[in-house]
Amino acid sequence: MCLAVPMQIKTIDDFQCVCEARGIEREVSLFMLQGEEIGPGDFVLVHVGYAIQKVSAEDAASSWELFDEILAADA
Amino acid sequence: MSHSAEYWLEALHGLGFKRPVRIMNVCGGHERTISLAGLRGAIPGNIELVPGPGCPVCICPEEDVFEAIQLALHEDIILVTFGDMLRVPVNVPKREPRSLEQARAAGGDIRPIASPSEAVRIAKENASRRVVFFAAGFETTTAPVAAMLAEGAPDNLLVLLSGRLTWPAIAMLLDSEKAGFDALIAPGHVATVMGPEEWQFVVDKHNIPAAVAGFRPDTLLAAMYSVLRQLKDGKRFLDNCYQEVVLPGGNREAQRQLNEVMQVGDANWRGVGVIPDSGFALRDSFAAHDARRHFRAYADDSRKRVGEMPPGCDCARVVLGKIYPNQCRLYGLGCTPRKPIGPCMVSDEGACRIWWSSGYRENEWEGRKKRQSVG
Repeated sequence: MCLAVPMQIKTIDDFQCVCEARGIEREVSLFMLQGEEIGPGDFVLVHVGYAIQKVSAEDAASSWELFDEILAADA
Repeated sequence: MSHSAEYWLEALHGLGFKRPVRIMNVCGGHERTISLAGLRGAIPGNIELVPGPGCPVCICPEEDVFEAIQLALHEDIILVTFGDMLRVPVNVPKREPRSLEQARAAGGDIRPIASPSEAVRIAKENASRRVVFFAAGFETTTAPVAAMLAEGAPDNLLVLLSGRLTWPAIAMLLDSEKAGFDALIAPGHVATVMGPEEWQFVVDKHNIPAAVAGFRPDTLLAAMYSVLRQLKDGKRFLDNCYQEVVLPGGNREAQRQLNEVMQVGDANWRGVGVIPDSGFALRDSFAAHDARRHFRAYADDSRKRVGEMPPGCDCARVVLGKIYPNQCRLYGLGCTPRKPIGPCMVSDEGACRIWWSSGYRENEWEGRKKRQSVG
C-alpha cells in the first residue's frame, strides 16, 4: 500500500494538479507539498493520489524502469 | 544512487562477510522487489532476508474490519475503503458475511477507492447520505487521510481510522528477548513522510545497523551492503540509501497535518496485540468526522479475543518475521490468492501473497511430508 509512483505535473489549479506518467493522467493533490516551489513540468512522487515529495526527472525515469518490470511480471 | 544492482551484488560478494546474518525489511514494497527480482538467490548464502511487519492490511485489527462490515450492513451509509481491504477475512459463523466483499454481495453499499480524494468526491456526490471511509494504512497512507481532513472534508464524510506507525512494531521486537534479526532495512516511503530520524533508535538503543532503502534492486542492495559493512567494521550508523527522495526531517508539512488532525496512542495489531504508541486516532477537534464516535460500536470487547487470525493461519508469525510464508501449514494448500484464509495472502503488501505471486509454490511442510514418504 506504500507504493508511490513518480508522475510529471501537467497543470496546476490551487492544490489540485493533473499529473501524467506513461500516457496516463491522474488528478493529484499537492496539499502535502504546500510551501514547496513546484510547477508544471516538475516530477512528484504520488501515493494514493497525493504528492508526498518532489523528485528529479532522472530519478523518476529510473523508478519507472522498475515499475515496467513489475508490470511485465504481472502481465 | 549512481551504482547499478550488479555493482552492489559484486560488492556484497566481495565483502567476505561469512557469518550468518538476518536482515529484516518492514515494507511490502521492499519484499516485492526482493522476491520479484530474485535477490535471495543472487546474494551470498549466509544472508537471510526476512520480511517483517510491512503490511498494514495484515495487521489491521479484525474487530475494525468487523466494525466496517457491520456499519455497511446495518447503517444507511456508503462505505469506501482501499481495494486491498475488501477480501480481508473476519472470524464469524458461516452464515454471516466474512469480508467486505461478501457484505457487498449481501447488499452493503461498499465501494473500493484508490485515493482519499475519491472519498471526498463520493461524499459530495451523495450529500444526503453519510459516507464512511474505512482507512487502514501505515504513515505513508495515513498522512494523505490527515491531509484530506486538514484541507476540509464534507460534513457527511466520516473516517473509521485504523492507521498505524511502523517503527513501534520494530521497537517491540527489539525490546523482546528474540528480535530475530541482526540488521534492518527501513521503509523508504515511510521515511519520506516521517523523516529517516525515526529509525535512529535502532542504532542508538539496540546497536543494530540500519539503512533506509528505496524500491529498486540497486538501492535495496546498497542498503544490504551498508548494514553488512557496518557489522563487519563494528561501526553502527543509520544510513540513507534513498537520498534522492528521503530528506532529513522528512516531509514536515505532511507531519504538521498529521499532528493537527490525529494523535498517537496505544493500538491493537491483529495477531500481535497492543503495541504502545503505535496507532493514529482523530483528535477531538475532528470528532465530527470520527466514525468511531458517530456510530455505536458493533465490535465489543469479546470481539477482541476472537479477533485474531483465522484458525490454523500463521499470518501473525509471518508478520513478525518468525517464520517465512511457506512455513505456514496453509500456504499454497488451503490458502492461495484465489481463496485466501489469512490477510497476508489477501493484500498486495502481504508476504504470503508476494511470495506466491513471485513463484514460490512449495509449502515447506508439504515438501517435508513428500520427502518423508519418498524416504
